[in-house]
Amino acid sequence: MEILASTFFDFGINVQLVVGGLALGAIYAVVALGFVLVEKSTAVLNLAVGEFLMLGSYFGVAFFMERQTNFFVGTIVITAVMALFGLVIHYGIMRPMVGQGFFAIVLATIGIATVIRAVVQMRFGPLEKGNLTALPTGTIEVAGTNIRWVDIIVLLVVAASVAGFLAFYSLTRTGLHMRAVASNIEAAAGVGIDPDRAYALTWAMAIGIAGLGGVMLGHFTPSVNPALAAIGLRAFPAAAIGGFTSVGGSIIGGLIVGVIEQLAGGHLGTKWREPVAFGILFLVLIFKPTGLFGQKDLERV
Amino acid sequence: MTTEPILQVTNLTVQFGGVIACNDLSFEVSPGELFALIGPNGAGKTTLVNAVTGIYEPKPGASVKFCQRNGETTELLNYRPHQISRMGIARTFQNLGVFSAQTVLDNLMLGRFMHERTNILHYGLFTSVAVKKELEARKVCQAIVELLDLEDVRDELVSELPYGIQKRVELGRVLAMDPHLLMLDEPMAGMNAEEKQEMVRYVYRIMDEYGTSVFMIEHDMGIIMAIAERIMVLEFGREIATGSADEIQVNPAVIDAYLGAEN
Amino acid sequence: MSEMTITDTSTSGSSSVKRVPASLRVLPFLVALASPLILDNISWNPFAGWKILVGFILLIVVGKFAWSTAERDPDNPRLALKLWHRPDQRALTAMTCMGLVAIPFILGTDFDPPMDFPWASWFRIVNYIVLFALGAGAFNLLAGYTGQLSMAHAAFLMIGTMVGAHVGLIWGQSFWLCLPIAAVAGAALGALFGIPALRLRGLYLMLATIGVHFIVLLGWKEYLVHYFGFGGVRFNAPNLPSWLHWVPGINPEDGEFLINTQFRWFWLNLTITTICLLFLVNVIRSREGRAFAAVRDRDISATLLGINVARSKLVAFALSSAMVSVSGCLLSYYNRARSEDSFNLEQVLDYGIIIVVGGFMGIQGAIFGSVFFFALPMYFEWMREELPFISDIDFFSRYAGEVDLAIRGILVVVVLVWRPDGLAGLWQAAKNRLLRQFQNSQAGAAQ
Repeated sequence: MEILASTFFDFGINVQLVVGGLALGAIYAVVALGFVLVEKSTAVLNLAVGEFLMLGSYFGVAFFMERQTNFFVGTIVITAVMALFGLVIHYGIMRPMVGQGFFAIVLATIGIATVIRAVVQMRFGPLEKGNLTALPTGTIEVAGTNIRWVDIIVLLVVAASVAGFLAFYSLTRTGLHMRAVASNIEAAAGVGIDPDRAYALTWAMAIGIAGLGGVMLGHFTPSVNPALAAIGLRAFPAAAIGGFTSVGGSIIGGLIVGVIEQLAGGHLGTKWREPVAFGILFLVLIFKPTGLFGQKDLERV
Repeated sequence: MTTEPILQVTNLTVQFGGVIACNDLSFEVSPGELFALIGPNGAGKTTLVNAVTGIYEPKPGASVKFCQRNGETTELLNYRPHQISRMGIARTFQNLGVFSAQTVLDNLMLGRFMHERTNILHYGLFTSVAVKKELEARKVCQAIVELLDLEDVRDELVSELPYGIQKRVELGRVLAMDPHLLMLDEPMAGMNAEEKQEMVRYVYRIMDEYGTSVFMIEHDMGIIMAIAERIMVLEFGREIATGSADEIQVNPAVIDAYLGAEN
Repeated sequence: MSEMTITDTSTSGSSSVKRVPASLRVLPFLVALASPLILDNISWNPFAGWKILVGFILLIVVGKFAWSTAERDPDNPRLALKLWHRPDQRALTAMTCMGLVAIPFILGTDFDPPMDFPWASWFRIVNYIVLFALGAGAFNLLAGYTGQLSMAHAAFLMIGTMVGAHVGLIWGQSFWLCLPIAAVAGAALGALFGIPALRLRGLYLMLATIGVHFIVLLGWKEYLVHYFGFGGVRFNAPNLPSWLHWVPGINPEDGEFLINTQFRWFWLNLTITTICLLFLVNVIRSREGRAFAAVRDRDISATLLGINVARSKLVAFALSSAMVSVSGCLLSYYNRARSEDSFNLEQVLDYGIIIVVGGFMGIQGAIFGSVFFFALPMYFEWMREELPFISDIDFFSRYAGEVDLAIRGILVVVVLVWRPDGLAGLWQAAKNRLLRQFQNSQAGAAQ
C-alpha cells in the first residue's frame, strides 16, 4: 500500500476520482434507497437488493442490446416490470411471512436472490456481456480533466429520479400514507390507512428504483455480469450513514461511500475498496449507531 | 435481628432530560418488613426501582446502601446491575420479565444462575461437578414449584400459560435467586380479585419461609392498606408521605393527591 | 382427485367424516420420494436388495431393544439430566448411531448398489454434511440461542485454515496440534469480534460483522500472498499418530496411516463433529445455555438475574467461533486446497440457510439443514441423469447448476413460508404425532 505523493495530491486525478465516485455513489444511493425504504417501512432486511439491481442491468441487456429499444422507453418499461415484481414479492412471500423472526425473513430474501441469479444465468448465460451503450460514450473536458459523459448522465438521471421519488414520498397523499405506516403501523391502521397496500407500494417502488439503478449500473460498469449483485452489499454502509431510517441520509451516505471508495481504490489499490467501504460501515455502527442523520429510538424497561 | 435497615436510600434524584422522575427521595426498608410504594401513574415508582437495581443512573450525591445477608453494607451505586442482583436484590417487572420461549422449570433454573457457578468446560463435558450443580439447582426449583403450586405446568412453555400463572412464574424465579430483598413491581396488575388474593398468600408464604424483606409497588389500595407495614406515597417524583397504613389513610396530602382523585 | 375428496366429505356428512390417518396422508410424498427406486428397479440387484432388507431388520431390532431398555421414572431428576433417556430418544439415537456406522461401509466398499447412484461423489457429500453440521451448529449457538447474528463466521473458518496452514505447513507441526490451536485462536478472535455485540444488536450487529468480515478477508489475502503466493495453500493429508495404530481396522503402510480417502475422513470428521456438537448440546441444556437464551429474549431481565450479559455474549461468541474455527481447519485439510476467495460472505449465508431451513432452535436443525443443503442437489443431479423422463429434457442438463440453484432458492422460500420452525420442527411434529398414535393404540389394547 505505497501511497504515491505525486498522485495523492494530483488535482486532475482527484477530480476524476471524485466525479467517478459521485457517479458510483449515485448508484449506491439508489441501492441504499431501495434498501432503506423496505427496511424502514416493512422492517425487512432485503439482502436481495443487489440481485434486483443485477436483474435491472440484465433487463437492460435484453432491451438495449438485443432489441435496440429507445433508452427512455426501455428504462420506463424496465422500472415498471421491476415494480410489478416487487408486488409479486410482497403478496407472494412477505405477506405470508408476517410474524416470523427477523432472520427467517432475511433468509427468504436470500432465497429470492438465489432464484434471480439462477434465472438470469439460465436466460443470459454465465459469461459477461459488454456494458450497455444506450447512452452517449466519450468524455468531456472540464477544468483540465476528462470526465466521462456516462458518469454525468448517470448522476443526472439518478438525481432526477430520486428527486421525483422524494417529491412523491413527501408531497402526495399516498406518500404520506407510506410514511405513516413506516413510522407507526398501528397508529396508521387506526386512522384508516391500509398498511398492506402501503407495504405493497413500498415494495413496488423499492424494486422499481433498484431496476432503474440496474440500468444505470449497466452503463457505468465495464461489463454486465452476475457478479454485479455484490454491489448490493454497498447499500449497508450507505444506509448506515443515514442511520437506516433516513431516506435522504442514505442518498448522501451513498455518495459519501462512493467517493471515499473511489479515492481509496485510486490511491491505495483496488483491493482496498471493499475493506474501506465496510470499514466505514463498522466505524459508523460502533461510534454512531444512529447514523449521521437518523433519529434515536427510546426503549422503556 | 439487627436493627440496621436492609435498604437505605438517601437523596436519590433521577432525571431524564428535563423530566425529573425521582426528586430527592430518601427512605429505608427494615429487615423482614413489607414496604409498599404507591402513587399515581408516572409518579416515578418504577424509575425508583430501576435506579436501585442499577439500570438507571441517579444524579451524583445520591446514596443507596444495601445490607447483605452476611451483614456487610455496600453502596450499590458503585456496581453494575448484575452485580447488584448477585448481592441479593431480586425484582419482578411491571410488564412481565419471564422468558416465554423457555419452560417454567428453565425459568426457575435461571433464577439459580448465580448460585451454580462453575467453569463452562464442566457444563460442556457434563462432568460430575456440573451434574451436582444442576441437581442442587433442580432441588431448590422443585421446592419452589411446590410452594407456588406450579407442579402441573412445570414442563410447559411459559408463553402457553395464562397471565396470572406467568406472574407466579416470575415470582418463583426471583425466589429461586434466594434474595435478601425482593422488589415486586406491580405483582398484581391485571389480575382479578381471586388471583390477587392468591398472590398475597404467596407473598406472605415467601416472607414466612424465606425470611425475605419485600418492597412492593402496587395500585390496589385495598390490598396495600391491608398488608403493608409501611407505605410511601409518591407524586410527580416527590415523596408526599411515609408511614403506616392508618397514618397514610388520614394524611391530608395523600387524600388530596391520590385517594381524593380516586374517590 | 380434488373433486373426489370434496364429494366424499359432502356426502358422508359432517359428523361422521372419517379422516384419513396421518400415515396414509404422507404416503404420496413417500411414493414420490421413492419413485426413482421404483422406476429404476430394472437394474435392481437381488443380492443387494437382500442386504438392504437385513440392514433394515437389524435397524428395527436395535431400535426396539433401545426402546425397551429405557428407564421410566419421571420423578428422578438425575434421569432427566441424561441426554437420551426417553424410550423414543433412545431408540432413535441407537438407530442413528447404527446408520452412521453403516454409511461408510455402504458408500465405501465394493457394495453393489441397487441403483446407479454416483456413490463415490455421495461420499464426498456425506463428509461435507458432517463438517457443515458442525459449523452450522456452532453458528446456531450464536444466532439461534444467543440471538447474536454474526456475519463474520467466514472469518472464523479462515482463522482455522490460517492456523492449519501456519502451524501445520510453515512450522511443520502435526495436524493434531492444529485442531486445539485452531480452537483456541478461534475463541480468542471470537471474543474480540464479539465486542461490537456489546453495543449493537439485531440488524446493526449483523451489518457491523459484515464490516469485520471484509476487513479480515483483506488480512487473509495479504497473508496468503505473503506466505504462499497467488496459487493458494495446498494441505497434505494428516497422519494418524502411531499410538492409535492398534485400533482394529487401521493397518498402517510403512508405519504411516494417512487420512487421505473419503472413508478415512468420514471417521475423523464424524468423531470431531460428534464431540463438538455434544459439547454444544451440553452447554445449551445447562446453566450457560439458559443464560444465552435469557440474553436473547430479554437482556435487562437477564441482567437482573445476576447474568453478566456482556460476558455471556462474549462466551457465546468465543465458543461458537472456536467450533467454527475447528471445522474450518478440518474443512481445509479435507479440501486439500484453499485460495484467496475461499472465504466469502455466501458461506455464512449458507450456514444461515442451513439453520433456518433445518430449524432455528436446536442442534438437530443444523444436522437436518446440512443434509437438506447438500443431499438435495445430489439427488436432483442423479434424477436428472438417470430418470427416464427427466433425463430426456435437454434444458435440465444444459442448465444443471442453475436449475439446482433455482430449486434450492425456491425450496428455501417455501420452507420458510410454510414451516417456520424448519425441518426439525416438521420432524418433531411428525414424531410426536406417531408417538401419540402409538400410545393411544397401546392404551386401546390395554383396555
